Amino acid sequence: MASRPLEVGRRASPPRPAAGRRGPWQRFVRNPRAIAGAAIMASFLLVALAGPRLAPFPPAAPHVLAILHPPGRPFWLGTDNLGRDILSRVIVASRVSLAIGVLSMLVSIVAGVLVGALAGYFGGAADSVLMRVTDVVLAIPVFFLTVAFLALFGPGVGRLIWIIGLTAWPPTARLVRVEIMALRARDFVTAARATGAPNSRIIVRHLLPNVVPVIVISATLRVGLAILTEAGLSFLGLGVQPPQPSWGNIIADGREYLGVAWWVSFFPGLCVFLAVMAFNLVGDGLRDAFDPRLQI
Amino acid sequence: MARYLARRLLALVPLIFGITAITFALLVLAPGDPVLFLVPPEQRGIADLAQFRHELGLDRPLPVQYISMMAGLFTGRLRSFSDRRPTTRQVAEALPTTLILTATSLALTGALAAPIAFVSAVRPYSMVDHAATLFALLGISLPTFWFALVLIFVFTEQLGLLPASGIRPVGASGYSPGLIWRFLIMPTVVQALGILPVLVRYGRSSLLEALSQDYVQVARSKGLAERAVLLRHVARNSLLPVVTIAALLLPFLLSGSVIVESIFALPGLGRLAVNAALSRDYPTVLTTTTVAGVLVVVSNLLADLGYFYLDPRIRYQ
Repeated sequence: MASRPLEVGRRASPPRPAAGRRGPWQRFVRNPRAIAGAAIMASFLLVALAGPRLAPFPPAAPHVLAILHPPGRPFWLGTDNLGRDILSRVIVASRVSLAIGVLSMLVSIVAGVLVGALAGYFGGAADSVLMRVTDVVLAIPVFFLTVAFLALFGPGVGRLIWIIGLTAWPPTARLVRVEIMALRARDFVTAARATGAPNSRIIVRHLLPNVVPVIVISATLRVGLAILTEAGLSFLGLGVQPPQPSWGNIIADGREYLGVAWWVSFFPGLCVFLAVMAFNLVGDGLRDAFDPRLQI
Repeated sequence: MARYLARRLLALVPLIFGITAITFALLVLAPGDPVLFLVPPEQRGIADLAQFRHELGLDRPLPVQYISMMAGLFTGRLRSFSDRRPTTRQVAEALPTTLILTATSLALTGALAAPIAFVSAVRPYSMVDHAATLFALLGISLPTFWFALVLIFVFTEQLGLLPASGIRPVGASGYSPGLIWRFLIMPTVVQALGILPVLVRYGRSSLLEALSQDYVQVARSKGLAERAVLLRHVARNSLLPVVTIAALLLPFLLSGSVIVESIFALPGLGRLAVNAALSRDYPTVLTTTTVAGVLVVVSNLLADLGYFYLDPRIRYQ
């Protein structure tokens, strides 16, 4: 038992409890927190898709007679120091913030699944080299490197997606590796190998489909983290650049006017908070539905 | 033990090489010429620029630049582009502030996490447990820089209780240990909130695992008071994993320090790194990234050594 590598990273050993008559999907739907998260997530995605069409004003239009207007008609979330409508800016910004969150998640999931699957399937030297690289990336104070990269190369949405994605893959790689290691000794893999299937086919057709829940859970939680990172970088002035509004840079705009106009920073921050919380709720709900003992 | 320690210290070498090589590669690949940032436009004669580039060593082959930068970094001869002081001195001035903030944040987190994790593990699915889960969710979803602004709005702008900036560097004129605590309250709370959910979650699952062990049953069945069972048997055994997590939290705290120090104008490592990056101060960028990496690696080593003292069953080969 102790020599089997498959228990690494999991809680103590008994086999997974029988799922009962309900499948994971029913368990997810009956979890009120997960449903609340999914509802908030869906509304944010819809707003991001509708984008400018939903905004009451053009996001850059200066209403010079209503500078630092407090929340109220017709500026429901107030205006900033240039008289720009915060609600419109927050709505328009949701698109870029969510896009960076989702796309950098894709980068990190692809990298993490690739590294984890190769390390877990082949084991041995490949495993130790890949895991050593993973440890190095985990040990690097990633934010220092990210800040240095964006400052040196100049900020940009594409660069943000790559740097956030390429620094966030190690946890996914570790999870996938453990799952693959547990699966590769199973009979169906031996059977596939006996029929002469090449390694690539075994990994893609036989192993990865079994790891999909773990990948989806990990991916959902990654989006939340990526949105937080993007907002922090944009706040520092290293992320999305004005005049394009993003939640982080609107918060930074309001920083100087904190004492006189709290609403400029408050509402975009609330959006970051709610969006990240929605992705976390859905991720936690998926985990509880598929495999509550998974350590993510 | 000595052999184990030697091996671990030796393993630091490739890690530090990896971190510095990545940073150096970034510096080399970055578009733009650092010399143009340093020389005001009116002094940009071609000869001046070449002269300046030579003085900075930027005209030498890349491996030579890397080696001389690393040698300079470790001997303290590497000088910042912007103020021409040794980067080691800049770091020596900035590091204490970051370390103090890290220490206060870890202390506050530990003091809060221990009782919360304990209650939610001993009474799982109770009100306290549910509240802790909800709080953890809020904590990991909260953008810390925004939370910092909310704190400044309430405690500085509205109540006038706490200063939002103005702390002196450790050792500078006007610095006094008795005066700094007021400046540290808000940054400490912000940093602690970022890592509290992680620590509570791990503490809880570690305690739950210890509670399900046979020796707990034995302790209970021999009639030991529940209090003694919890403190002497459960708590001591579940401390171990939490110690590693505390060490693994250091990268989070260092990352957080970049933003928190910028908001509260704390003269620490994070702010030094941001300012150096923004002004293309290559030597300082290299030094701050390396120092942050070494801090993380060393804290992991310390956590493993802490294991050794906490658990006599562990014997390192």
